[in-house]
Amino acid sequence: MKHEKYRAYVKRTPYLFLAPYLCLTCIFFVYPLISAFMLSFQQTNGPKSRAFVGLSNYSFVLTDPDFHKAVTNTAIYAVFSIFLQLPISLGLAMLLNAAKDKTKGFFRLIIFSPNLVGQIFVGVIFSVLFVPRYGLFNRFMQSLIYWGLENRWLENPTLVLPAIIITALWMYVGFNMIYFLAGLQSVDKSLIEAARIDGANPWQVFWNVTLPAIKPVATFVVVMSTIGSFQLFELPFALLKGEFGPSSSGLFIVSYLYSMAFRAGDLGTGAAVGWILTLIIMIISLAQIKLSGTLEEGK
Amino acid sequence: MEFPYGKAPFWILVMAIITGSAMMLSRVFTSAGRPDLVFVVFAPRHYDAYLKLIPEFERKHNVKVQLQQVHQRPLQTRLQSALLADTDVPDMVEIMNPFMGAFMKGPLEDVGFVDLTDRIKAEKLDEKMVGSRFSIWSSRGRIFALPHDVHPVALAYRRDIIEQLGIDVNKIETWEDFVRIAHEKIVKDLDGDGIIDRYALDLSISGTSFFPIVLLQRGGAYFDSQGNLTVDSEITIDTIIWYIHQSRGKTRISFPAGEGQPFYKALSDGIILFNFVPDWRSKVFEIDAKDLKGKMALMPLPAWEKGGRRTSTWGGTGLAITEKSKNKELAWELAKFLYLNKQDFSDRFALLNIIPPLKEAWELPAFQIEDAYYSNQKVGQIYAELAQETPPDYVGAYYEMVDGKTREVLVDGGVYYEKYGNDGLREFVTQKLKQKAAYIRKVMNRNVFMRETELQVTDANASKENAG
Repeated sequence: MKHEKYRAYVKRTPYLFLAPYLCLTCIFFVYPLISAFMLSFQQTNGPKSRAFVGLSNYSFVLTDPDFHKAVTNTAIYAVFSIFLQLPISLGLAMLLNAAKDKTKGFFRLIIFSPNLVGQIFVGVIFSVLFVPRYGLFNRFMQSLIYWGLENRWLENPTLVLPAIIITALWMYVGFNMIYFLAGLQSVDKSLIEAARIDGANPWQVFWNVTLPAIKPVATFVVVMSTIGSFQLFELPFALLKGEFGPSSSGLFIVSYLYSMAFRAGDLGTGAAVGWILTLIIMIISLAQIKLSGTLEEGK
Repeated sequence: MEFPYGKAPFWILVMAIITGSAMMLSRVFTSAGRPDLVFVVFAPRHYDAYLKLIPEFERKHNVKVQLQQVHQRPLQTRLQSALLADTDVPDMVEIMNPFMGAFMKGPLEDVGFVDLTDRIKAEKLDEKMVGSRFSIWSSRGRIFALPHDVHPVALAYRRDIIEQLGIDVNKIETWEDFVRIAHEKIVKDLDGDGIIDRYALDLSISGTSFFPIVLLQRGGAYFDSQGNLTVDSEITIDTIIWYIHQSRGKTRISFPAGEGQPFYKALSDGIILFNFVPDWRSKVFEIDAKDLKGKMALMPLPAWEKGGRRTSTWGGTGLAITEKSKNKELAWELAKFLYLNKQDFSDRFALLNIIPPLKEAWELPAFQIEDAYYSNQKVGQIYAELAQETPPDYVGAYYEMVDGKTREVLVDGGVYYEKYGNDGLREFVTQKLKQKAAYIRKVMNRNVFMRETELQVTDANASKENAG
């Protein structure tokens, strides 16, 4: 009898220890998730006023030109993140991986260091760098190519997105480089040696040996960059001083969510945007993983 | 005692119990010492000023007031969220214009602030103070905050350079005069490198801050007193086109100097000669551009037509009492103590150059002092004279959206102007503005709570008409 009691006690114990975690998850994740879902079908104005509006929030968002603009800006930013930022990160990682001297660690730190400061800080710094006539970036461009001294990067609708991409490039190249470097360091050196002995040139070695070897890491970085791009908020928010740029040229999906929920005070529409964003990220991430074939290889 | 999963989880549990209990106890002790009033402000200088005044109020009323300072943006979002979620809120808050509008989204009885209209009228504050200042803090005819300031706008200019150029600012009566003189004498490429080295005015091309100033001065507005959208008016179209002409293309008279250090560098270097400067900004200039002491001066804004209004308004702070406050009467007493305090008016002006809305305060000696920074002009007197004709600026729940959309038209119109010049510019701006206004009305009409209020108002009017 005593033995059975002890067994029951032992059986219950893990759940007791799991309980705090499960409680917190339920309070801070499951409940808000369900609540946000319910909220997306409502309009609210304080605790006293709630009205069920059906799919009205979703239909408004999906037909709102501002949301279309936010999706377009986010997609352009995501494309540049993947096709500009990641190749540069990979290139830097390969350079550092090839370097043999002691400066390797130093350069790794230098390239990574922009990521040590927050997005807000970087946004504030770059908002000064992009100032017409006096901004360091404008002066640098003027002395380099005799163009750009008077550029109003953050006031000209065609230049706002490039300004954000340049800022993000400075910030995230080093971060992604670290992942690629870790991937490159785990590539079996004997495979590269064997390919070289077989007469493969550097490009063939990269394309046929290195890249397939770092494919899981590359897929991870691509997926994370895409998710990060779709969740972009603080950097443009700080860079554009809490606004969304001229003609909404710096409006991204999360900025749109923020403006709807916290500026217009329309929490229901904000929740609907949140769910649409979740769906977009889920579809794109699954497509990326599927296309890269990482899941199949893992089986 | 047995530990089937080791001692570590046991100690984690012990630590969780101890820290949890400590947190609960600290909450109990804190609530026991809760002050009678919690007052949150966003401006550091207001915080410093009130910190000096509050002990006297505490002694007088034998109460405890807790003063907190929070940056204006988080203050707005946190307060908005707290009111929406029905959680703990301070008794009193200072709110920055135009963020009050965000709290006015629903029916008047759902606004989280105390309706101060009757109290203000009972004390005759609506007569004693500049009437237009209540517009910022009103919705559908009811007032929800006490105005802290007037913020009339003047032009601050580089007197030294303007005099060297032989310009008599007294002859600049209208914006037409201003633009003509700017073209004739100010806007110049001084070293012949093809880059303009001197401009007349600081204007951002996106219209941030500056566009509403000129629109209000001209008699335009985003909303009327009842909260109806009025942005798509001929005045707005004319003002957008004027603004585009002055800020875009080769004949522009302005330079977007930005803010902070780049702005003061442009001001010190003489790249921009005139700036829109409300009372509060005149002190910021004194602090941030010390080297220009004695080289600056103030003048009223040029009018839109001869004899027209010579000022506008930029910014504003108001004090609101939350509906959830348990000490509303005490909060109202503190509000009056801080906002009608003659000694504070003088100190506030000395510290911030801020003109109070209470007209009798303008007679105080502090407002007659000559200011060496502005070439010994009586800054207080200049702003006090302008304060009387400050235009109203009605806000609404969608103020930020309207401001953003109007400035989108300004930017798009600017791009059009740089491409095609004046041909079709008016039609383009008109069409864009109508589109944006239609969009805003669509968003406003989605607000089921406001619709219900409007329906109630309409029903009430219909009943009155029927009764009549």
